[in-house]
Amino acid sequence: MDGNPALCLALARPESMTERTGAEWSAMLAAARETSLLGALWQRAREAGCDQDLPEPVVLHLTGAAWVAERRAEALRWELEELSRGLLTRMAPPVLLKGAAYLLADLPNAHGRLANDIDLLFPESEVERAESLLFFEGWVGSHHDDYDQRYYREWMHELPPLAHRQRGTTLDLHHNILPRTFQVKPDADRLHERSVAVPGPWRFRMLAPAHMVLHAMVHLFSETDWERGLRDVYDIHVLTNHFAARDGNAFWEELVVEAEALKVTWLVQRALWLCHRHLGTDIPREATVRLAAASGARRISPAARWMFRHGSQARAASCTPLQDATARGLLFLRGHWLKMPPGLLVRHLFYKAFLAPKDDEENARHQA
Amino acid sequence: MRCLGPDALRHRLVGDGLLLKTGPFVTRIRSRIPSVAAGLASVYRDYPVHEPGGFHDFDCELRAPRTLRRFYHPQVLFLSDRRSVFKPLAFHQAYPMLEWGMNWCITSLVQHRLVLHAAALEREGRALLLPAPPGSGKSTLCAALSHNGWRLLTDESVLLDVDAGTVSGPARPVSLKNASIEVIRDFCPEARLNPPVHDTLKGTVSHMSPPRGAVERAGAPASPAWVVFPRYCKGAQARFTERSPGACLVGLIDNTFNYAALGARAFHGLGALSDRVRAFDFVYGDLAEAMTVFDELAHGR
Repeated sequence: MDGNPALCLALARPESMTERTGAEWSAMLAAARETSLLGALWQRAREAGCDQDLPEPVVLHLTGAAWVAERRAEALRWELEELSRGLLTRMAPPVLLKGAAYLLADLPNAHGRLANDIDLLFPESEVERAESLLFFEGWVGSHHDDYDQRYYREWMHELPPLAHRQRGTTLDLHHNILPRTFQVKPDADRLHERSVAVPGPWRFRMLAPAHMVLHAMVHLFSETDWERGLRDVYDIHVLTNHFAARDGNAFWEELVVEAEALKVTWLVQRALWLCHRHLGTDIPREATVRLAAASGARRISPAARWMFRHGSQARAASCTPLQDATARGLLFLRGHWLKMPPGLLVRHLFYKAFLAPKDDEENARHQA
Repeated sequence: MRCLGPDALRHRLVGDGLLLKTGPFVTRIRSRIPSVAAGLASVYRDYPVHEPGGFHDFDCELRAPRTLRRFYHPQVLFLSDRRSVFKPLAFHQAYPMLEWGMNWCITSLVQHRLVLHAAALEREGRALLLPAPPGSGKSTLCAALSHNGWRLLTDESVLLDVDAGTVSGPARPVSLKNASIEVIRDFCPEARLNPPVHDTLKGTVSHMSPPRGAVERAGAPASPAWVVFPRYCKGAQARFTERSPGACLVGLIDNTFNYAALGARAFHGLGALSDRVRAFDFVYGDLAEAMTVFDELAHGR
């Protein structure tokens, strides 16, 4: 079995891990390493109680990854404590997105997950004020180029990423979940209105369950770079399972209604299809039917199915590297096509290809 | 590897991959490059090889980049899990690139052990750690000790098991550079070195196979007893200066690749190690004299 199906099967049905051969394990570990899913794999094995039945070298690699994830989570928690004590207390509590929210809400995908940066969502009118306040705590912008500034501030849904001067942690300040120039513009006020307080003593909010799942879906399906696609698919799968088990039909109802309200129904259809294809996510038939009947629904063509499936595979252990690479190339074009209207897109890609300073030049300039 | 024969070796390298066992790790190696096969056959002669289809920790491939350049100025790429991790090198450096790539796999992909940039040797179950930056004469000292009563654990990456408090290593070949190649050839005439490769980033390099005993016991752990920070200084008399546990800890942290990644676990692991060992700074100018003083160290004098 090639590494991708083995990994998907292990995440969906952890008991299957005890049946893998040595070569299959090697392929599966390579795929999990590439998609940052090693820690998740260990977590799944422990939940299923088969962690002690795995081959010894596998146990070592997985526990090591779990230690690193634990350490990252600890560091992330510490950064969030700093943020929630600092100058941001002068503003209304921001909404935590993605990894930080999963961690503080103790959602099942947080265990073993490698969080990279902190993502905060502010109302559009306040996001620049947050940026100014954070500057006094050592958070500085990383993109100084005029073009990059304009790219983020005029066209994107976030400000140029901030990095902490001493610790190097990155922090993204968002005011929406999709770029301003994207084909559809979700109503960000709706995200704030329905957001809920993070449990415990934290001065943060997080998205409502349906919005949290929608954000994970929209994030992957508007992406130009699908390198870690499988990790995002796993996040969507676990969150969907978790909320569906907790809230039952009310969750699916909410998901359909909110997808329509945020105008992202067609992205949700694709995300659910891909989760089911890779991880066998349990999706009630009624939800699929209602999504297909909702406004903004679009049929998924066989070519698109092929592209999403191959584009989200890990490359390290795939038996179909050429197809995967082609699919990834198409996803790159698709992501850009959705991200900007054609005129702007041509301009942007022309700038990036011919006018933007190359990395080497930029380094040379910094050294000079 | 010895019983495989050159044809079978080439066949595996070109096909599904050679599964080479070095201590605790199995590396799958694939390459069509003749110098890679030749280098492996000579340097890893005594190492065990696993049958195809078994588990491997790391996946390595060496091949020429698929560009037109291969016709007039051939180069070589190192790929780990099908991903190129270094800039390409000139084609004749394929073998040393494999060694550097295998080092990279250990320092970048191992998370369940603290990985120290240090050499380590063992005597009667007690381990000597030699952490040092490049250019301090660590490899030369390590190569000489490995032929003078000490079992080589590793020349490059010490693996510290934080829970057990023991160290082990892959017992891979020792990388010798420039003048130290001749020094070791003179000092240990029985040592097996592969033909030097010139003009690399590190100058001229040659890899020395560890003595057979070290290869046979590769991966066997030992209890750390001494941490010595070596520095070669031409003409200097061999001299130990004792380090406090605190200073030892700081020196170890500087030489640990995944210290930050493992956080408190790393701090406590290295702290416990520093408390248990005797630590020294060591300056030396003559290998024969160094052998004598390390003998005395091992015998508690």
